[in-house]
Amino acid sequence: MKLIDLATIDHGERSAYDIINSVCNELGFDYASYATTHPVKGDVQGYANYPDEWKLHYGSQGYHHLDPTLYQAALSIAPVDWSRFNHDEKFNAVFRDAHDFGITDRGLTVPVRGPYGECGMLSVTKDCSDTEWKKLKRHVMGDLQMAAVQAHDTVMQSGVLAKALYLPSLSRREREILQWVAEGKSQQDIGDILSISHRTVEVHLRSGREKLGALTTAQAIGRAIGLGLNIQVNT
Amino acid sequence: MIIVIDGLNQHEFKDILDEMFKLRARVFGDRLGWEVNIQDGRERDHFDDLHPAHVVSLNDEGEVVGCMRLLQTTGPHMLADVFNSILDGEPPIRSAQVWEATRFCVDTKKLGRGRGKNSVSYVTSEVMIGSFEYAMDAGVRDAVAVIDPVMNRVLQRSGNAPYDYVGTAKPMGKVVAMAALMDCSEERIASIRNYADIDHDVFLSDQQARALFDKSRITEARPANKDHKPLSELETYFVEQMAAARTEDERQAVLNLIECLSDKFTPEQKTALIQTPRAFAHEA
Repeated sequence: MKLIDLATIDHGERSAYDIINSVCNELGFDYASYATTHPVKGDVQGYANYPDEWKLHYGSQGYHHLDPTLYQAALSIAPVDWSRFNHDEKFNAVFRDAHDFGITDRGLTVPVRGPYGECGMLSVTKDCSDTEWKKLKRHVMGDLQMAAVQAHDTVMQSGVLAKALYLPSLSRREREILQWVAEGKSQQDIGDILSISHRTVEVHLRSGREKLGALTTAQAIGRAIGLGLNIQVNT
Repeated sequence: MIIVIDGLNQHEFKDILDEMFKLRARVFGDRLGWEVNIQDGRERDHFDDLHPAHVVSLNDEGEVVGCMRLLQTTGPHMLADVFNSILDGEPPIRSAQVWEATRFCVDTKKLGRGRGKNSVSYVTSEVMIGSFEYAMDAGVRDAVAVIDPVMNRVLQRSGNAPYDYVGTAKPMGKVVAMAALMDCSEERIASIRNYADIDHDVFLSDQQARALFDKSRITEARPANKDHKPLSELETYFVEQMAAARTEDERQAVLNLIECLSDKFTPEQKTALIQTPRAFAHEA
C-alpha cells in the first residue's frame, strides 16, 4: 500500500488541494488534509498542507498504516474529535512525532461516505485552548461538512471512469428550483410558487449544489447548463 | 436517557445493540408487519453493517425502550436503495448537511400513554432530542426520516411536526411509509423539550450507559442467584467487608481487593459484588 500526494500529479481546475487550503484560510485552522483509500489498490491517496518535512517523515515511517484519523474516523457518520480516539500505541507513535514537528493532536476528522460505499476523510488541526476549540467547532462544523464532500467528490471525479459514474442526477424538484432561481426568484418566492416551505426549497437547493460540486447557486446553475441538465436561461 | 452507538464504540455495547435489534424485530416485524428480515428474533439489514449511528434510549431500569438509526445521505442509505419507491423514481437528496433517519421505534409494550417518564410520547421526544442534538453538533441542518403515518401523527402532536415530505407515501407491508423532512435546529429542539418537559442533558457517557444497562442485567440475574447459588466463602467475605466498611477509603480498599482477585469470580459475580454489595449483605 502506497501513500500518494495527489498535489504532485493533479492539475485540475479546482483541486482538492485548493479546497483544503481554503479550509485553513477561511475557517481558521492550522493544517488540513484530505485522504481516501483507493477502492481497488488500497493505496492511501490525498492532499495535505502540512509542512513538507512532516509529510516526508510521515511517509517514510509508514504512519499511514497506523494513523487512527484514517482508520477509525471512517467508522463514524459524524465528525470525530481526535480526543475520542484511544491513546494507544498507534496513536502515540504518530502523534508523539507530530508533536516534534510542531503539529498538535487537537484536531478532528470529517468522514464522507460516497455512493459506492467508499469513504473520504477531511482532517483539520488547530493548536489552541479547549474553549477556543469548542467555539470554533460549533461555528464551522457545517462549512467543514460541505468542504469535506467537495474535496471527496473532486477527487472521485478526477478519473475518466469515475467522471462518467459520477454524472450528477438531479431530481425534478432540484432542477425545477434551479430553473426558478435562474429566473431570478428568491427562495421565498419559489416556496410560494411550488407551495412548499422555503426550508424545503433550501434543502433541495443545497442537495443540488452539492451534487453539482458547486459552492454557490450561481455556479450550480452554470454547471447544470454546462452539463446539459435541462436548465434554460430565458432572455 | 440516550446513548449514541456507532462504529467507534460498538464493541463496548454489543449487548445493548442486541436488545435494540430485538426491539426492532418486535416493532417492525410483529407489530407493524413491515417486510423486514428477522433472524433469531433480531431485525437487522445490511445498512446496519455500514456503521450507522444508533441513537438508543434506555429507561431508568436500563432497558432499551427506543431507537433510531442515522446515516449520511452522501453515501448508501435507505431512501436511495430500498425505499426509492417513495421518491416516485426521482433521485434522492444528497447533501453532507442532511442525514437520513430510519428504523425509528419505541417499545409500546413497556411504555404507556400520557406524557410521564415511561410513556411513548416521552421516549419518542427523548430519541428525537438526542438525534437532533447529535446532528447539530455534526454540522447537519436537516433530517429526512422514513416513518409511518402513526409515527407522523405522534410527531405532529408532540411539538415536532415535519415541515414537509419528500415524494409520496407508499404501502410497505401492512402499513404506509413516508419520508418526512425535519430541521435540526435550536427551535425544533426547544419545542420538543417544552412539550415533553425535558430540560436536562439527555446524553449518557459511555461509562454511564454501561452501568445503567448492567443494572438491568443484574435485576434479571438476581432471582436465579437466590434460588440456586449460595455465596462462595470468598463472596461472603467481601460482602461482610463491604458491610463493615465505615469510610470511603475502607470501601475503596475492598473494591481494590475484589479487583485484584478478579480471576476468582465469573464476570457476573464480580459485577454483582461491585455494584450491589449492600443488597448481598442481607443474604449473607
